[in-house]
Amino acid sequence: MAKVSVLNVAVLENPSPFHSPFRFEISFECNEALADDLEWKIIYVGSAESEEFDQILDSVLVGPVPAGRHMFIFQADAPNPSLIPETDAVGVTVVLITCTYHGQEFIRVGYYVNNEYPSPELRENPPLKPDFSQLQRNILASNPRVTRFHINWDNNMDRLEAIENQDPALGCGLPFSCAPIKGLGLPGCIPGLLPENSMDCI
Amino acid sequence: MDVAWSPHDAWLASCSVDNTVVIWNAVKFPEILATLRGHSGLVKGLTWDPVGKYIASQADDRSLKVWRTLDWQLETSITKPFDECGGTTHVLRLSWSPDGHYLVSAHAMNNSGPTAQIIEREGWKTNMDFVGHRKAVTVVKFNPKIFKKKQKNGSSAKPSCPYCCCAVGSKDRSLSVWLTCLKRPLVVIHELFDKSIMDISWTLNGLGILVCSMDGSVAFLDFSQDELGDPLSEEEKSRIHQSTYGKSLAIMTEAQLSTAVIENPEMLKYQRRQQQQQLDQKSASARETSSAASVAGVVNGESLEDIRKNLLKKQVETRTADGRRRITPLCIAQLDTGDFSTAFFNSIPLSGSLAGTMLSSHSNPQLLPLDSSTPNSFGASKPSTEPVATTGARPAGDTVSKDSVNATSTPAALSPSVLTTPSKIEPMKAFDSRFTERSKATPGAPSLTSVTPTAVERLKEQNLVKELRPRDLLESSSDSDEKVPVAKPSSLSKRKLELEVETVEKKKKGRPRKDSRLMPVSLSVQSPAALTAEKDAVCLSVPAPALKLPMPGPQRAFTLQVSSDPSMYIEVENEVTAVGGVKLSRLKCNREGKEWETVLTSRILTAAGSCDVVCVACEKRMLSVFSACGRRLLPPILLPSPISTLHCTGSYVMALTAAATLSVWDVHRQVVVVKEESLHSILAGSDMTVSQILLTQHGIPVMNLSDGKAYCFNPSLSTWNLVSDKQDSLAQCADFRSSLPPQDAMLCSGPLAIVQGRASTSGRQAARLFSVPHVVQQETTLAYLENQVAAALTLQSSHEYRHWLLLYARYLVNEGSAEEGAAEGAAAGHRAESPLSAPLYRVSGAARHPEGQVACPGLPWLQQGQGHTLAADNAHGHLSPRQTTEGRGDTGRRWAVLCQRWPNSLGGLPPYPGPVAPSEGGSSARHSSLPPGPLCGAGVGALPCCPGVSEALPGLPFPARARGGH
Repeated sequence: MAKVSVLNVAVLENPSPFHSPFRFEISFECNEALADDLEWKIIYVGSAESEEFDQILDSVLVGPVPAGRHMFIFQADAPNPSLIPETDAVGVTVVLITCTYHGQEFIRVGYYVNNEYPSPELRENPPLKPDFSQLQRNILASNPRVTRFHINWDNNMDRLEAIENQDPALGCGLPFSCAPIKGLGLPGCIPGLLPENSMDCI
Repeated sequence: MDVAWSPHDAWLASCSVDNTVVIWNAVKFPEILATLRGHSGLVKGLTWDPVGKYIASQADDRSLKVWRTLDWQLETSITKPFDECGGTTHVLRLSWSPDGHYLVSAHAMNNSGPTAQIIEREGWKTNMDFVGHRKAVTVVKFNPKIFKKKQKNGSSAKPSCPYCCCAVGSKDRSLSVWLTCLKRPLVVIHELFDKSIMDISWTLNGLGILVCSMDGSVAFLDFSQDELGDPLSEEEKSRIHQSTYGKSLAIMTEAQLSTAVIENPEMLKYQRRQQQQQLDQKSASARETSSAASVAGVVNGESLEDIRKNLLKKQVETRTADGRRRITPLCIAQLDTGDFSTAFFNSIPLSGSLAGTMLSSHSNPQLLPLDSSTPNSFGASKPSTEPVATTGARPAGDTVSKDSVNATSTPAALSPSVLTTPSKIEPMKAFDSRFTERSKATPGAPSLTSVTPTAVERLKEQNLVKELRPRDLLESSSDSDEKVPVAKPSSLSKRKLELEVETVEKKKKGRPRKDSRLMPVSLSVQSPAALTAEKDAVCLSVPAPALKLPMPGPQRAFTLQVSSDPSMYIEVENEVTAVGGVKLSRLKCNREGKEWETVLTSRILTAAGSCDVVCVACEKRMLSVFSACGRRLLPPILLPSPISTLHCTGSYVMALTAAATLSVWDVHRQVVVVKEESLHSILAGSDMTVSQILLTQHGIPVMNLSDGKAYCFNPSLSTWNLVSDKQDSLAQCADFRSSLPPQDAMLCSGPLAIVQGRASTSGRQAARLFSVPHVVQQETTLAYLENQVAAALTLQSSHEYRHWLLLYARYLVNEGSAEEGAAEGAAAGHRAESPLSAPLYRVSGAARHPEGQVACPGLPWLQQGQGHTLAADNAHGHLSPRQTTEGRGDTGRRWAVLCQRWPNSLGGLPPYPGPVAPSEGGSSARHSSLPPGPLCGAGVGALPCCPGVSEALPGLPFPARARGGH
């Protein structure tokens, strides 16, 4: 069982100009004191085509983490425009918030981000070279995508073994299982998420 | 932190980190009867006085408080034994002895040693305690039964005094079990777990304990009556209560009536009414709570809003040795404070997902900007610029479809574009993979992943909505083609199509289903008014009968998962190819990678499939059936009225038409199973709806109605049979738990289980606590079990038939031995006989059946399912002489019959341990296990009521071995 579950991520200052920093208020629950820090990262996907254009906007350690509920604000600078392919600067992309423990990623929260010109003139006649100072960033906060990964929460020795054991399994096609996820989302809408609860309606 | 039901079940007490205890009226949730304030620390345990006069709570403030239930005022506060205690335990679950004399606290200290304090009811004296645990006591739990010493054949001198049994769990990971008549513990088990014990629960019969621990494991300990003594029956227990405290369960309230055992029809009516009220109130309260929950929680006297405002300022940020930022998170709550999470969620606008959105599965991820049609379907202003000539979207029809969407609670915004125009999705697919795949940037151990597809279809941000408006979309697509992925080229004709489809009602959704054989489908009866409008979509108008079921509207495309193993799905695309003005619909079926497809001339309204057949219902009331390999099995079937629901299981096809007639065909054998049977008889009430439909493997249709009743159609009798009733009072009073086989009890699955839902245990509790006269309980239980057996038989569900028959048999055996013990002689025997005789003959009759064959000639499925053979019937050959020669009393003989029948005709049962003559094989050996003489005594006793129940959990020290003092 995961020791840490993310309860909520609130996107602050949204929408905002392209160059303003990202700010997320993250609250999480830890059901057992953690020996080491959690590492949080914000990754900005520069282009859908390739991971080459991913930018790690910031990475931060969070700790110490005793059992209980915690929250913090994770602030990271805007992506470096020069690293973004020009064709992908305007439009929809993705920002990811990931958390790792002992180098193992256990949760990923992704948001769609729409970069667009707020002014109608620019929108209709966008400059050939994107004008980042004019761009507005809008994070689709209502639609987070949460992915959880099972990791080994215990000490490092165990983890190494676990990885060794799991590697072959990866090679021959890992069985993926969809588990219902608690946490993010209004409690009221969760039943709709779970396929087992769903009934076909006419 | 803890919850506890009052002895009369009408109240529920909960204690919380907010230092209070709340008493809830369980009859009218969420009514709060009282809030007990007075503790100055987290309240970590609760217990009710078994006679209902007091409630006791123990808290971190080093006190144990006893409250009166009469006026909810403090009776006494006990602090002395807890003076030295620190708040080191997660819980402090105290317990009251079943005779009411003693209250035993969790963690107390005596001379710096951890103890469990015994508090006497008389004067709340604290003279005794349970000593021996090395760390704080977390849980104390009394056995619900009162015991008395086993009478040893007249050898025991004095009639022993009744005593109680108490289990104590501690942080030191050990468990001790005490009898109040002994000075030392009955048994102590050290190092049962890796971590502290969190809770203990006794089984109802008082002979087993479940213990759970922080380490995530649960242990089950099983005692024998030799170890604990003879449990007193409920009557004797209440007699003790009455003699000690006057009227037992002193508080007679109106609420109590509802949970009381039904003794006359008036009471039943009353209970029904109350249940109805309760239901109404529940739904109302659900609404209330959801709105109430949006009030922001308060932590440490500071509202969450404040915390959030100041978070950035307060946040402590340091640099590690290697220069990295390190944030110290702000602790907003301690552990175990699960209560206010909902408030917390609601106070933060994380997911603006609205109630009525359909959430797409992972396979068709939707991005808002792509889904250009959705805002319209939710009633956003219709773009006037769009040509809507072909749609036939009269405003009236539009509203109707919206209404009906709401009525069926089917969020209808299935976006046709997602499935049919993959070119539009592709750019987003690249993104979608990013949500789930680990990137190089964040390496991690490869492992299982899980995904939440939380596609939301409406957006609140103003500018995005603007973006979504088709008009904008069109403009931008012409102007800035490639730049904005949102505006991928969408031709005008396409848009037209989409609009058309979208204006017509869409209800059917292709969703992955778990169980291919028993696919639940929900539908509801709609008002005729709505339907007349809908009918326009159908070419032929039918005379509208009073009863109408909703019909699926044509969709542009949908997919349907038929089964996951083997993976099989059906894809439907309507009006996909236009050859010279003729529009064709395409049906595609993919089975484990192998695909076939065919075209149909009219639009496909709904589809269904099984591993054997695929069938689709089209407009013009046509039903086409294909084999799983794509061969057309029949020319199109003309249905009497438009289709409402289509269903396939095995080679059976079920069609429910809008005129509420039901037909089932076996398409392989080409026979009709159910011919246009009307649902009028079961859908009598005007507001009744069909909530679920099943088709069993044997082609038996089952309708679950909204009033909690479920009927199956018996083709051989042409009758609707009631197989389940949620308000069945029998089910609520039946208590056969002691007869449940240990492991497979909950694993029994099949149509009956699906229809009835998981066994509700609510009523049994009431029955037990109210000390029903044993006779009544026994009779209701028997009647209930017989109903179940019959229902399983009618549904031709062999597994379930076996399960319930077994339970029934076990129950008979259990009750038989109990009666013998009760020594009520002839009367008891007589009583047992009358309810038994009929059902038993019925059961064996079914098995014997006319044709002289033994193993259910009329029920080939039983053999099929179990794989047992006709040899089983030899049992009867052996039996009949026995019945004649040996029959002592009616009861005895029939029990013998039943016992023999288990292993044989039902197959796969573990043989009975005990004296079995080795030489005679097969069923005769089993005969010899039954003593020839009076059967009820030792003979029945030798049969284990629950084979395997005494198996200890792996790794669990067996109580006997661990016995000994501290």
